[in-house]
Amino acid sequence: MLDFTVDFDSVSPDLWISKEETCKEKLLKLSNWSQIPLLNTNASHKFSDGKLVRFRGMVQDMHNPEFYFEKFEVFNTTTNEVKIKSGKYCDTAHILENEKINYTENLKSAQRQAMVVVSLPGLSDWAQQIEEDQNYLKHLDQQPNSSKRLSSNANTKLKRSYDETENDSEVMDIADADHLNKEQRTAEVMDNGKNVVSREHLLNFPLPDVPSKSCIVKVYDESENLKINDMIEVVGFLSVDPILSGEFQPEKNSFLEPEGDTDVEIITHNPPPSLVPRLHAVYVKKLDHCNPLVANFDQAAVLKEANSAREHLLKALTELLLGDQLAAEYLICHLIACVYLRQDTLALGQFCLNLSNLPTKKYPNYAKQLYDIIKQFVTKSYYLPLTIENLNTMALLPKKDYECNRLTSGILQLSKHTHLILDETKMEQGRLDSTGVSNLTALGNMITTQKVEYDFKYYKMEFDSDIPVLLLSEGKSLLPSDYHVPLRPEESSLEIFDAIVEAATYYLKEEIMNTIRKYLTNLKLVKYTISEDLQFVEDDFIEMRSQSDAENPVTADDLHRLLVLARLVSLSRGYDTLNKECWDITRKMECERLNRIKNRVAPTF
Amino acid sequence: MAMRDYAADKEAIRNFFVDFCQTDDEGHKVFKYAEQLTKVAEREQTSFVVDLDDLFETNEDLANAVKQNTRRYTNMLSDVVYEMLPDYKHKEVVAKDALDVYIEHRIMLEARNHRIPGEMRDPRNRYPPELIRRFEVYFKDVSTAKSVPIREVKAEHIGKLVTVRGIVTRCTDVKPLLVVATYSCSACGAETYQPVRGLQFTPPPVCTADECRLNKTSGQLYLQTRGSRFQKFQELKIQEHSDQVPVGHIPRQLSVYCRGETTRRAQPGDHVAVTGVFLPMLSTGFWQIVQGLLSDTYLEAHVVTCLNQSDENEMAEALTEEELAELADEDLYSRMAQSLAPEIYGHEDVKKALLLLLVGGVDKRPNGMKIRGNINICLMGDPGVAKSQLLNYINRLAPRSQYTTGRGSSGVGLTAAVLKDPFTGEMMLEGGALVLADQGVCCIDEFDKMAENDRTAIHEVMEQQTISIAKAGIMTCLNARVSILAAANPAYGRYNPKRTIEQNIQLPAALLSRFDLLWLLQDKPNRDKDLELAKHIAYVHQHSAQPPTRQRALPMRLVRRYVALTKRKQPVVPHALADYLVSSYVELRREARNARDVTFTSARNLLAILRLSTALARLRLSDVVEKEDVSEAIRLVEMSKQSLQHVEDNVQRGISATDRIFAIVRDLAGSNKTVKIADVIERCVDKGFKPDQVDACIEEYENLNVWQVNQVRTKITFM
Repeated sequence: MLDFTVDFDSVSPDLWISKEETCKEKLLKLSNWSQIPLLNTNASHKFSDGKLVRFRGMVQDMHNPEFYFEKFEVFNTTTNEVKIKSGKYCDTAHILENEKINYTENLKSAQRQAMVVVSLPGLSDWAQQIEEDQNYLKHLDQQPNSSKRLSSNANTKLKRSYDETENDSEVMDIADADHLNKEQRTAEVMDNGKNVVSREHLLNFPLPDVPSKSCIVKVYDESENLKINDMIEVVGFLSVDPILSGEFQPEKNSFLEPEGDTDVEIITHNPPPSLVPRLHAVYVKKLDHCNPLVANFDQAAVLKEANSAREHLLKALTELLLGDQLAAEYLICHLIACVYLRQDTLALGQFCLNLSNLPTKKYPNYAKQLYDIIKQFVTKSYYLPLTIENLNTMALLPKKDYECNRLTSGILQLSKHTHLILDETKMEQGRLDSTGVSNLTALGNMITTQKVEYDFKYYKMEFDSDIPVLLLSEGKSLLPSDYHVPLRPEESSLEIFDAIVEAATYYLKEEIMNTIRKYLTNLKLVKYTISEDLQFVEDDFIEMRSQSDAENPVTADDLHRLLVLARLVSLSRGYDTLNKECWDITRKMECERLNRIKNRVAPTF
Repeated sequence: MAMRDYAADKEAIRNFFVDFCQTDDEGHKVFKYAEQLTKVAEREQTSFVVDLDDLFETNEDLANAVKQNTRRYTNMLSDVVYEMLPDYKHKEVVAKDALDVYIEHRIMLEARNHRIPGEMRDPRNRYPPELIRRFEVYFKDVSTAKSVPIREVKAEHIGKLVTVRGIVTRCTDVKPLLVVATYSCSACGAETYQPVRGLQFTPPPVCTADECRLNKTSGQLYLQTRGSRFQKFQELKIQEHSDQVPVGHIPRQLSVYCRGETTRRAQPGDHVAVTGVFLPMLSTGFWQIVQGLLSDTYLEAHVVTCLNQSDENEMAEALTEEELAELADEDLYSRMAQSLAPEIYGHEDVKKALLLLLVGGVDKRPNGMKIRGNINICLMGDPGVAKSQLLNYINRLAPRSQYTTGRGSSGVGLTAAVLKDPFTGEMMLEGGALVLADQGVCCIDEFDKMAENDRTAIHEVMEQQTISIAKAGIMTCLNARVSILAAANPAYGRYNPKRTIEQNIQLPAALLSRFDLLWLLQDKPNRDKDLELAKHIAYVHQHSAQPPTRQRALPMRLVRRYVALTKRKQPVVPHALADYLVSSYVELRREARNARDVTFTSARNLLAILRLSTALARLRLSDVVEKEDVSEAIRLVEMSKQSLQHVEDNVQRGISATDRIFAIVRDLAGSNKTVKIADVIERCVDKGFKPDQVDACIEEYENLNVWQVNQVRTKITFM
C-alpha cells in the first residue's frame, strides 16, 4: 500500500479506482493538503499526465454530461488476452497498439459532468501572492519535465489509426513549443484552426485584461450539486494529452455526417490541454471564502479581536475619506456585508453604498486611488469605470453562444463576495446605445435584487449573485443604491490628500493589513442572531411612521434597511447579536446620513 | 428478466392491427390501423403511426414492453406491416418516383430469375427490406406519460421511448441520408446492396456476387444513386426550458435525429415536445480512438410536435399529490391572493382583485354581440406604494404578458404599426404591445403620462377587445383580448381628495369607466398596522424566514399552473341568481345617486360584477356561479370605491358643496368665460344641490374674486 502522505506522484487513476473508499478517506485526512500541487500557481506543463493535482476556481459553465465507459474489455490481438479496463478518471483509453476495445459487449457506461472552472475572477494581488508563496513547488522547476512527460506518454500512447507519422511529429512539435512559450502556442491555434479561435475565447474569463487560468473539470459525483459561480477547490487527476485538442479532428465527410457540431464548437469544447488542462475530480470542496490568511474559523476569537481590527480600519478609512468618519463607518459596513437571506424576490443583507460628492475637481483620480487602497483589504474586487465607451462596448451579462455551444462570460459573472467598484466620476456626457442602456439596466437590477439575468437567447434566466457594489460618484448616482452617503471632506484634509495616501500606506503595515484582511473575511462567516425582544425596534418604527410625510415617506423598506445596517454595525463591533446600544448607533448614523442628503449643497470641490 | 417471446408479440401485434377499432361520434366503427395500412399500401401515406394509447388499451403488457425496448419493436412492427401490406392493397399503385420504378423492375427480375423453387440464393443479393419498404413506423407515446426533463434523461433511458420538452436552439438543413446503398459491379454487372444503419459507412471493397467470386475477377463497385434509397435527415438540438433547470444550473441540451416524416417540424426558437428513443452513438474512425471512452447520445425522434402557448398550458402536467394537498387548503382564494407578490405587505383586497384579473371572467357572445370577460384594473396611488412592483409581479406571473410604460409607448407602439418591408417593399403590420399580449395581460405603468391621442387607442381595446387598423391601405381588425392592468400617479404628486378622480388622474371618464376596478393605494401611518409590519419585518430578520402565522406563499409556478387550470372552466350564472344580481345593482345605483359619488356607477359596473363573479367561480373550479361569488364580487367593487372615498375621512372635511358646485360651474364654462346662472342652477339641481347652496357658492367665489356676476345676476364671468 502506498504511503499517501508522502507521495502523490505514485497515485494513478487505476490505483484510485481499486481502493476508492480508502483513498478518499486518506485524502481527506491528509495533513499536508497543500503539498498536492496547486495548478493555479504551478503551470500545468510541469506535471505529467495522470498526476493528482489541485485547482481552485469558480464554476463558469457546465457542459452536457458525457457518457463514458466505466468498464470495458480490451482484447490483445497478439497474446489473446482479455483485460477489463476502466475509463474513469481518464480521457484516453490507454491501450497498446495490438489491443482492441470490445465495443459490443461487457460495456458499462456511466455519466460524468464536465464543467469549465476558471481561476477566481478578481482575486486580489496580495491573495494571489500569498497563495503562490504557500503553494509554489520549487522542485518542479529543476526537473526536466518535458522529457519525462513525453516519455511517459510514449509507452502508453495509443495508436492513431491514420496518418500516424505526420501527425505524430506535429504533436511533438506543438507540445514542445508549448513548453517553451505559450504565446507561440496561441499563434499555432490561430494558424492551425480552420476557424480562428483566440486564446481569450478559449479561456472565457469574465473579466477582461486579467490573466487567468481555466480547467475543464469532470465531476463524477452528481451529489456535489455544484452551481454556477460556486467557488470550489478540486483535487483530481490531470489529463493533458495533447491529442485531446479539438484541432486534431479529422476532416469530416460532410456528405454523410450530421453537421450538428460545428468546428468552432468542437474547438471550443476541446481546447488544447496545454492551455486548458482537464481534471478528473476525485474530490470537490465548496469554498466559503478564498482568503488564504483564514485557515480555520473560530467565532469567539473573531468577535474578540473584531474591535481592534475595526479601529485600524476606521482610522485608515477616515483619513482616506478626507476626515469623514460617517462615510468611513458606512464603508466598513459595506465591506463586511453579504446577502444572508433570500426569499422569493427579497434579498436581505445587500449593501450597495453610494459615496457621492467626491472631490474630483481637485483629485480627478480620487476614485481610483480609493480603490487601490480598498483592494488591499478585500480578497476579490473589480474596478469598473463607468465611461460611456465602457458601457457601450463591454459585455456585462453572460450570454449563451449557440455557435460554440457555451456560456460566454460577462463581467457580472462573479463569484460571491466579489466587490464591484463602479466609478461614475469617469462618466461624461454622451450617447448610450442600446447595449449601454441594457448594461445600465443590468447593473441596476443587480444592485436592487442581487440577481443577474443570463441571456440564453430564447429566454433569460436569473441567477442569484452576491456582489457588494460600491458606487463612487460626484452627485447622486444614476444607478439605484441602498445607502447614499454624500461625502463631507474636511478642508484641512482636502489640501493634503496625497500626503494622506502616503501616510496611510505607511501606517498600513503588512501586519495590520493582515489583521484587517482576516477581519473582513471572518465577519462574513459569523453567525448572527437577533434576540426575541425587539421592543425598541418596533417602538422606533412606529414613531418614525407617525412622523412620515409625503416628502420623507417611511416604508417597510426603511425598516429592512435599518435592520441590515444594525446587523453590520453590531458585527463590525464584535457582537453577534443585536443590542440596544448598536441599534441606537445605527439610528444615529441613518439620521445623520438622511440629514446630509436633505441639506446637500452643490459640490464645491 | 426473462426473455420475451417475440414471436408471440409479433402475432399479438398483427391481431391488434386487424382488430383494433374505435367507435366514432356517429357510432360507426373505425378500424384505425387497417385504414392506415390501406393508405400505406396505396402509397398515400408514408408514416405509420402507432398510438401507444391504443396498444395500451388492448395489451398493456405489450405496450410496456414496447416502451422499454422501442428499437426492437420498431423493426418488428415494420416486418409485420410489410407482411400485411399486400392484403390491404386494393388498387394498383402508380409509381411515384424513380425508386418505385427501380424496385418494381428488380422484383420482376427476381421473380423471373427464380422461377425454380428451392433454388439457393445468395442472401446478400436479396433486396434488403429497407430498400423496398417505403413506409416508416412511429410510436406515439401514451398521453398520460409525463415528459422527462432533459436533465433526467440518463443512461437508464437508453433504448427506451421518452418524451422530452424543450426549445429548439439549432437545426440543420434537411439532407438526404443514405439508407441503402446500391452498387453495381463493373465486371459482372451484378448489384450489391448495403444497408446503412449509422451515419457513416465503408463501401465494400470488391464485388461479392457469385459470378465475380467464382471467376476471381474482383470487379470494381460503383454507387448507383438512382437505385439507392435516401431518407430525409435533420438534426435538432433542443435545450431545457427555463422552468426545468434547477436554480444555479446551466440549461442542458440534447441532440435529436429526425428522419423521414419527422423532419422539418420545428424551427430554432420553437417550443417542442419530442417523443423518441434515447440511443448511444459510437463515434467511429480516428475520433473514436481519441475519445474512445466516450459515447455520444441522441434521441431518435418518433414524434416532434411544436407547442404553442395554449398547448403548453394543456401540457401542464396534472398537479401532483403534494401540490393538490397544498391547494386543498381551506381558504384557497385568500391564500393564492397572498401569494401574489408576497414581499409586499398587506393590500389583501388589491391582490385578490389582481388574482381575479389573472383568472379572468367568461367571454359571452349573445347574438353576435361580444361581451368581454377580461377584467381591467387601474391602480392609483401616491408614489412609492409598490404599484410598479405589483405590476412587475403580475407581468412575471402571467404566462403571456407585456409590460410598457405610458410615456414609453405611443399609440402605434401599443396597437400596431404599418411598416415597409425593407426587402420586398411591401407594407406589413407589426403588432404592438396590446396585440402581442392577446389573451394575456398588458401592464401599463404610468398610465396617466400617456399622450392624449395614444390613449384613444385603448378605448376600443378595453371594451371591444379588438384593434381596428386603417393605415396605409391596410384595413383590418386585430384581436387584442387583453386584460389591462394600469398604474397611474395622481396628477399633482398626491391624491387630492377634494377633486374628482378625473381631475386627480387626468383621465377622461370614458376611459376610467372601462376599468372594472379602480384602486387607490395609500400608505398612511396607522399604529396597529405599523406595529404589525414592524413585527413582521423583525421576524424575518430574526429567524431568516417568514413568520409562521402567515401562510406560506405558494410558489409562483404552482399559482401559474393553477390559474391555467381555472381557465378551462366556463361557469354560468344560474337563473336563480339573476334577481339577486339585479337587486344588488339597483341598490348600488341608488346609493350612488344619494351619496357623493366620486366614481361612476353605470351599467358597466353590473358587467364588472358579473365578470368578477365568474372569475371567482372559475377559481373554485366550479361550473356554476354561486351567491357567495356574487357577494364577494360586490364586496370588491365596494371596497374599491371605498378606497377612493376613504381619503376624505382622513382629511377630516370632505369636499364641501360649494367646492363641488364650483367645479360644475367650471366644467359648464369650459373654454368660455361666461356662464348663464340659469344653466348653472339647472345643472346643479340635477346633481342634487339646493338652489340656495348655489347662490351661496356664487357669492363666495364672487367675494374671492374668482368671477364676477353681472348686475341683473344672470351671468357669471370668470376673471
